Amino acid sequence: MSRSRLARSASKYAAIAGAAVRRALAERAVLAGRVVFLGAILFIFSRVWQTVVGGGAIAIPGAGKAELIWYLAVTEWCLLSVPPFFLSIEAEVRSGDVACRLVRPVSYVGAQLAEAFGETALRLAVLGPAAAGFALLIAGSWPADPRGLLLALPLGVLSSVLAVLSMAAIGLSAFWIVDTSPIFWIWQKLAFVLGGLLLPLELYPSWLRALARFSPFPAMLWGPGRMAFGFAPGVALETFLELAIWCALAAAGLAALATRVRRRLTVNGG
Amino acid sequence: MERTRASRLAGGLRFARALVAMNLRASLALRGAFLLQAAFMVVNNLAFFSIWWILFERFPEIGGWNLSDVTTLFGVVASGYGLSVVFAGGVRDLARAIEDGELDTLLVQPKPVLLHAVASRTVASGWGDLATGVGMLWVCGALQPSALASTFLAVATSACVFTASGVIVQSLAFWIDGMQTFARQVWEFTLTFSLYPRPLFSGQISFVLYTILPAGFVGFLPAELVRAPSLPLAAAALGASLAWTWLALFVFARGLRRYASGNRIGARV
Repeated sequence: MSRSRLARSASKYAAIAGAAVRRALAERAVLAGRVVFLGAILFIFSRVWQTVVGGGAIAIPGAGKAELIWYLAVTEWCLLSVPPFFLSIEAEVRSGDVACRLVRPVSYVGAQLAEAFGETALRLAVLGPAAAGFALLIAGSWPADPRGLLLALPLGVLSSVLAVLSMAAIGLSAFWIVDTSPIFWIWQKLAFVLGGLLLPLELYPSWLRALARFSPFPAMLWGPGRMAFGFAPGVALETFLELAIWCALAAAGLAALATRVRRRLTVNGG
Repeated sequence: MERTRASRLAGGLRFARALVAMNLRASLALRGAFLLQAAFMVVNNLAFFSIWWILFERFPEIGGWNLSDVTTLFGVVASGYGLSVVFAGGVRDLARAIEDGELDTLLVQPKPVLLHAVASRTVASGWGDLATGVGMLWVCGALQPSALASTFLAVATSACVFTASGVIVQSLAFWIDGMQTFARQVWEFTLTFSLYPRPLFSGQISFVLYTILPAGFVGFLPAELVRAPSLPLAAAALGASLAWTWLALFVFARGLRRYASGNRIGARV
């Protein structure tokens, strides 16, 4: 592909992403809802940590009550920034509208990803400061070493990329099972549990922690989250590489899935 | 007059029974999808609950609550939520129905509009919630014959308050445009807060959890009734569910007076 064709192709997807950002900005209620939900979850778990930790510390190096709240702020920021766009793929497959999308001069999956990345970028930009604000308000202080939070930023972005790729694969499964919500529930709860969304993996029984490390979820949530426990560039780099590998695997899996979808496609209406 | 009221009530009950039967048939018509959704919801709930199990492995008590207490709370709330979305699945979309003028087709029928709107839809995954809830209540011994009456009352009142609070917040769409997202969020918050132990919340937040977000009546109070049954607790749970139900009927009826048709052309079969 020549450089000019590549640039034209990239500009199409950038335009789709830009349109998604504008649409998400227009739907302020949804964004505001996510912000309030983030605040509510941080508040609830601040109460949990207040009750179980009290003034003391738990058996995680560098983690007191404030750091645990910041941990949760980072993990929730990563997860809540990804829009549930698998539902729109599912709706298009159900209605047959996918047929209309296929005749456009852009890849169907590519367009879906561009839309999702656009909206995710906006959510990351909005929810990041909101999460930091809530964490500061609820915890009453920054983490003991706030430099770790700077390392959490690129990890959070890469974590969202992995979540977007996973959600696209969940959406494409609609070509086989029509209702994709059950698959999403399982993926989401695996992320909750194996990723350490609410509780750092250090608190898990060792067998469960070992099991979790075989999945992408710890790199996705625990990795960025534990940056709240201190400034650890080595650990951050390790997490970054893990995330990059999982992203590459997810992208390859998604490409294979998209090829199978094209082969299988039968229009359900439209 | 009394006879008319009694016969209207009997007619309403017959209609509700017919809607329930229709929803059950609709769910079972796609048996594979139904079973898949219900089974996945059970797995989903158990995965969420495992967070509590992990936490209690580390810390035996949270504000005086142990794993068995949280299991009871989860069991009551999951059963109540399951009952609500299985038998009144239309509550979730009530604001959208009001905004889109979908009540037009219900208003011309000689049946209670609210009952028709909420009970003519069902959520298949709610059976998974119900199964999880019943399973958890069984695990914590709340289904023993001696405890059955208080457990049944607790679950029924939890479902009533949850449904009623949904109707109230969704009915705000009669007065304010663009309520769908907000209404759903408020309803989700009620569910979210009701799944955490009562001792975590004190002071002003406690007031909020018994008024604006009635998580106290969906979770804490019914769970307390199962943990330590007593007549005052039973009366409080029953009174709260009746009060919330009355409030929901009142708000919906007042809103319906303001309802403007969507001029939508449609058929209901």
